[in-house]
Amino acid sequence: MQAWCRGRGVTPRPLVRMAQLWELAFAWYATRLEATARRPGPDEMRRIFAGLGLNDPFWDPQADVFS
Amino acid sequence: MDFDTQVKLTVYHHFASTAHAPPVAHVAAQLGCSLEDVRQAYARLRANRVLLLESDGCTIRMAPPFSGVPTQHRVEMGRQTYFANCAWDALGVPAALHREAVVHSRCGQSGTLLRLQVGTTGPESSTWLFHCLVPAAQWWVDLVFT
Repeated sequence: MQAWCRGRGVTPRPLVRMAQLWELAFAWYATRLEATARRPGPDEMRRIFAGLGLNDPFWDPQADVFS
Repeated sequence: MDFDTQVKLTVYHHFASTAHAPPVAHVAAQLGCSLEDVRQAYARLRANRVLLLESDGCTIRMAPPFSGVPTQHRVEMGRQTYFANCAWDALGVPAALHREAVVHSRCGQSGTLLRLQVGTTGPESSTWLFHCLVPAAQWWVDLVFT
């Protein structure tokens, strides 16, 4: 991944394991077809990410540190 | 139930049952309303980051996790094949439909074809990793690129 990013001149970002990705997918979409479903708001997103150990500012939905 | 939620659910249930985006006329017919009513609801749903629309304002590009166009992320579920917008959404399809699936995709780094069995409680054990270039705060700036 590092070499791939270097080849494209992009900054490597945090990596997510498949088990974590499933947890994200489930948190985001398990209720999507239900009438009461709502997209997670910024605070809920932070809680979801933090619960999976994704604490980098990369995952902050309101971060202003990235250009 | 408010109108926008009715529109959203009509769109999502059509995706779930057909694996395709509904024509705007279909949504209007299902809800007994005008095409313009649906277009306006689509615009509000886009503003609320529920749908991503094509430039015509009525063709659905994304109703995450579902893609309205073919992508490299195919989700097989019985006789139905869905297209997902990305690897995360490829897991999102079985999560949303609460059914087992087989995900077919390609490694963005090597181009290697990938196949992943996904049960109702998650995917089979895998060493694969997900890498997203775009920070969360910028996902919806250009969701297609993301």
